[in-house]
Amino acid sequence: MGAEKEELNREEMHLDDAARVKVLSPGMMVAKRFFRNRLAIVGMVIIICMFLFSFLGGALNPYSQSQVFYTTEVMLKDYAGAAEIDQYNFVTAEGESLPKDIYSKTMIAASTGKYDFTSRDGADYRLEPLGEETYLIYILEKTGPKPKDIAEREIAVASLKSITADAAGETLSYEFCKAALTAVAEEAESFSCDGVEYTSEFAGHGAMIKKDASSYAFVSDMNFNAVNSGTKLSTAYKLAALEAFDAGAESFTYPDADGSEVTYIIQNKNGQYLIRKNQETKVIDDYAFPSKEHVFGTDGNGMDLLARLMYGGRISLLIGFVVIAIEVVIGTIVGGIAGFFGGATDNLLMRLVDVIYCIPSLPLFLILGSIMDYYQAPPTARIYLLCVVMAVIGWVGIARIVRGQILSLREQEFMIATEATGISVRRRIFKHLVPNVIPQLIVFASMGLGDVILTEATLSFLGLGIKYPAASWGSIINAVNDVNVMTNYVFVWLPAGMFILLTVLAFNFIGDGLRDAFDPKMKR
Amino acid sequence: MKKFILKRLLISVVLLFFVSLIIYTIMRCMPTSYVENQARALATRPGAKSYQEWVAQLNAQYGMDVGVLRGYFRWLSRAVRLDFGDSWFWNQPILDKFRDVIWYSFFLGLASFILEMVIAIPLGIAAARKQYSMTDYTVTVIALIGISLPSFFFATILKYVFSIKLGWFDLSGTVSRMHQSMTEFQQLMDIAKHMILPVITITVVSIGGMMRYVRTNMLEVLNSDYIRTARAKGLPESRVINHHAFRNTLIPIVTLLGGSLPALFSGAMITEQLFQIPGIGYTSYVSIMQGDIPFVMFYMVFLAVLTLLGNLIADILYAAVDPRVRVS
Repeated sequence: MGAEKEELNREEMHLDDAARVKVLSPGMMVAKRFFRNRLAIVGMVIIICMFLFSFLGGALNPYSQSQVFYTTEVMLKDYAGAAEIDQYNFVTAEGESLPKDIYSKTMIAASTGKYDFTSRDGADYRLEPLGEETYLIYILEKTGPKPKDIAEREIAVASLKSITADAAGETLSYEFCKAALTAVAEEAESFSCDGVEYTSEFAGHGAMIKKDASSYAFVSDMNFNAVNSGTKLSTAYKLAALEAFDAGAESFTYPDADGSEVTYIIQNKNGQYLIRKNQETKVIDDYAFPSKEHVFGTDGNGMDLLARLMYGGRISLLIGFVVIAIEVVIGTIVGGIAGFFGGATDNLLMRLVDVIYCIPSLPLFLILGSIMDYYQAPPTARIYLLCVVMAVIGWVGIARIVRGQILSLREQEFMIATEATGISVRRRIFKHLVPNVIPQLIVFASMGLGDVILTEATLSFLGLGIKYPAASWGSIINAVNDVNVMTNYVFVWLPAGMFILLTVLAFNFIGDGLRDAFDPKMKR
Repeated sequence: MKKFILKRLLISVVLLFFVSLIIYTIMRCMPTSYVENQARALATRPGAKSYQEWVAQLNAQYGMDVGVLRGYFRWLSRAVRLDFGDSWFWNQPILDKFRDVIWYSFFLGLASFILEMVIAIPLGIAAARKQYSMTDYTVTVIALIGISLPSFFFATILKYVFSIKLGWFDLSGTVSRMHQSMTEFQQLMDIAKHMILPVITITVVSIGGMMRYVRTNMLEVLNSDYIRTARAKGLPESRVINHHAFRNTLIPIVTLLGGSLPALFSGAMITEQLFQIPGIGYTSYVSIMQGDIPFVMFYMVFLAVLTLLGNLIADILYAAVDPRVRVS
């Protein structure tokens, strides 16, 4: 049965049967030759990968190109300061007032030991030592004409120690202050005031005064200040610090709110103590080495390099294609017209091409970049303008190729045929001549794409192309202008450079492969 | 021949006129922050004129007060007498500055040009001799990599490897720190040593084009009838290649080389800037960044002249070297 059918088939097949002779269209021949070229295939694969990486990768990547990342870093930061009190503190009794020069007078009296003194306003005072650097101040009032007729009235307690209540807003009574300061000066373990029993716990020259076993007030010869105004230093903390100061320790530990021990480092500068602590601080995660979160690391602005490479790839590829598209359109029109009409038109247009060809392109781009800088053009406007300018300078090459091709095609028989059939000039140029130039155009365009990407990268590298925050491969490499980055953070600039190289190389491979495929003459 | 050269020269002059007009128009769009800064500085002096008056005076002095066309003709009438005026940024006549810096660029260009020729011509011929061999593929890939390498990236890699990692060369500049205390010969060697990385950069970046050019032309020659004839006569392959083929390949190569001679003076802007070599490219780069309009104008026109000169030389050489080309 099968053999019978085969027999039938063979009978039906003729010599000129399309199924018998495998006919390849010219386009298929070109494609076949192209795909036989290994380099061209490599180029195609690279370009497809680049497109996927830039466009699909950019869409899938969770990070955006201008997202700044932060990290926490442990830094030794100032936590609190403590200074020895070198001026007397006064606690005045209710209803009493002190003269203005009491500070200096007390100081002199205490240091010279002459406990009687007269203030500037003429009143007499007397100090009575209660203990070390703690005095009771009396005002001496005359009660009679004799020098003996003097009454002492207690008006204040002066001390080089300060006394503060633990509870915020609570004012300590004069009586309590006096009792506490006296007790501390005498280093008494306990004392009573107004019928309440207090105990004191000493550390260095300070003491914590406890009422009913809980901290009530703090007496110290040191003034404590937290660096952050929000932080409140507890009495127990101050006591621990005082103890460490007294022991001459370089650090001490104190539990924080959660109960874990925190180490504090003490720096002593002539009686001024600085307490520092390792604190976690939020900083920009710049030049982070490649890690799980940032596969390519981060750049100097703390932005994810992988995301920037993806978005930079979009810009580079986009600019390449847009510029080449504009170039091809202008070049084909001008070249086609010049080649077809010849004569004066050709002469004029080709001189225009020559003029534009002579304008040095790189300095021109630099000048335009600095003009855009001056007018502070927004980043997107820069990209569009860059495309237009590059195309306006670059189309002359295509115009020359198209003209050259059309000049030779014009003389061929098929063009005479089109003329004889009365086809309009426009159709003759763009329907019959230009399609014959397309092979050269494609080759030129694929190689030109690489050139455009290179130029854009160079401009961005010089800081005149794509600007921050928009990313571009060239502007990523721009970081090497800082020698520190070049030396220590190779991961910042190497991938971007390799991407440029690979993309341009791939376009050149493709262009080379296409040229060979279109032009089999060279294949001999 | 004389008529041909004369005609090409005349066309070049006309082209140059229009090119410089376009360049001048663009230059006039440049931000004139230099003039404004200068006027601001002058106006702050004790007893000085107001800022507006200074701006007006400086603009008049630099020919910025008249329209583009009139300004252009004023510039042109001076330029044809080789008077390009004074550079704003460098504070000296432009031609003096040009004379100071051009030789750096020239020797940089010359060294890489020679290196390019020495490497590209043999490799291109070797590739063409055995088309589709391993050699051919290698040369093609090397050439395409050279074309595709961004010069700034390649320069950075060179700096990273040879200056930072190996420490063989300085990162940038033309002289080392001890330059003053060296003998004359040592000084020369010192400068030469500083030129090594830039020369390599320029060579590698521009070698690809020449390699491919040589290969294509050699292939064309090898496919021609007289080579087949030579082989048919039984000549040894070395004689066919070196005598018959190579001489004919020289025609396009000489044309290309002649045409690129003027380009030796154009300077390599990016490379010079990266290696801080005070050539014409670097000087112009700084001038562009500083808005030094007279110097940039001069440089642009200078480059245009070089391009035209290159085309002219190539055309003349083509006609002179190859008797088959008819002068039309």
